[in-house]
Amino acid sequence: MDLMLILKAVGALAVIGVATSAVLAVAAKRFYVEVDPRIEAVLAALPGSNCGACGNPSCFMSAERMVAGDLAPNACVAGGQTVADAVALILGADACEAVAVVSARHCGGGDRAVRAYEYAGVRSCAAAARLAGGPLLCSAGCIGFGDCVRACPFDAMHLNERGLPVVDLEKCTGCGVCVKECPRGQISLLELVPEMAPVVVRCNARDKVKARKQGCSACCIACKKCERACPSDAIHVIDMLAVVDYDKCTGCGACVEVCPQNCIDLFGRGGDAVALDGVGHGTGDTAAQETDVAGVAGAGA
Amino acid sequence: MSSVSQLALLFVGAALINNILLTRFIGLCPFFGVSSNMETSIGMSLSVIFVMVMSSTATWVVWEFVLAPLGVGEFLYIPAFILIIASLVQFVEMYLRKASPVLYRAMGIYLPLITTNCAVLATATEAAKPGFFKMNLAITNSAGALSLGEALVYTLGVSVGFGFALVTFAALRERLELAPVSRLMKGAPIAFITAGLLSLAYVGMSGWFGL
Repeated sequence: MDLMLILKAVGALAVIGVATSAVLAVAAKRFYVEVDPRIEAVLAALPGSNCGACGNPSCFMSAERMVAGDLAPNACVAGGQTVADAVALILGADACEAVAVVSARHCGGGDRAVRAYEYAGVRSCAAAARLAGGPLLCSAGCIGFGDCVRACPFDAMHLNERGLPVVDLEKCTGCGVCVKECPRGQISLLELVPEMAPVVVRCNARDKVKARKQGCSACCIACKKCERACPSDAIHVIDMLAVVDYDKCTGCGACVEVCPQNCIDLFGRGGDAVALDGVGHGTGDTAAQETDVAGVAGAGA
Repeated sequence: MSSVSQLALLFVGAALINNILLTRFIGLCPFFGVSSNMETSIGMSLSVIFVMVMSSTATWVVWEFVLAPLGVGEFLYIPAFILIIASLVQFVEMYLRKASPVLYRAMGIYLPLITTNCAVLATATEAAKPGFFKMNLAITNSAGALSLGEALVYTLGVSVGFGFALVTFAALRERLELAPVSRLMKGAPIAFITAGLLSLAYVGMSGWFGL
């Protein structure tokens, strides 16, 4: 081996390396760009899951736009009030009220919905919905293969034993990914409702009451009992379907008590110590599971 | 010193006849990565032209005054050139960030990617290392060793050819977005077919001027 050659090679690379690093060091000083430290701070305050609910591709983009003033501090849908406050504090802007929303399912069908045919394909709602209008007789019901559960970026949805997705309101941020993923999200099977919504109607059927009763034993039958029972004029049967006006609803639960179909649930963070989706009453929850089964058996007999 | 016609031939040969993207298939990843939109493809082309010319100059100087005199070029040229090109791209990135934030934003992830772009390394090597690329040998007739001027013209030709192909392809892809393409072929598949047809057009030029 030629020792000189090795020395030359090492020397040549060393000279090149030192020279280029010197140039880079000078350039780093000379072309230094001041980055607004607030961008980093806002980014740290944001949830960082890049859900895109605010309309920006990433949390970094929204942080930049928030600092630039293009985006309101409360634009983060997922973060809600806490993040809005934190961002407003960093930016010195007036804290603004975040309209916090959570996802709610307007269907109580599950195993109480009648199947039109036995579906044996891919376990995906999107695939099933394409096959002859879906495996349910009801065209508005939850198909129950959990596309929303898989899509949820916050692990806030789970299928219960009745095959319905239950929203964990502790984790739900209202990003709306599930609504977009649900093949029936367009017809508000899943819908974003105000965080403080105290009740939710577990039916979304728009066809004739007789037809929907054939398809499901948990549907709204438009009996208007809830409308009469409501002391604050907050629930109305519109187009043969009970609809809650959340501006007026006080969460007294009168409609939940009176509904013969059990298709109105207590819901949301608004109720006393009710932090979970539909714990307590109605059809969507696990607590009322046994009553449901009894009801089905009674109806059958 | 080479004549003007020789330089012109060098330029045309590098830009069209031996187009780096469409006849030699070097640097295909930006060809598909940045070509979905005209604006970024133009930004990418400009920065490739800039980086290629700069890096060829630098590698030529390093070859001529460091590697060749020491006799270590034959085995050291790849690490040395990579080192130089990487630092250059870093430098360009810093400069762009300061001078043109818009372009910096448009280039996004692709600017650092030029660091390891094979097209840049290939061109810089061809321009600096004598006899590395046969076309240069055929034109310059001097054992393939390009003078600094020839190296610059050659690199300019390659990078302009790169930009030309990239922008043409981006324009085609923008049109394709609006064309009634079958659902199965939409997006990448039709882009691959288009690239193949475009490449055929360029390959058709091979043999001109004996290149």
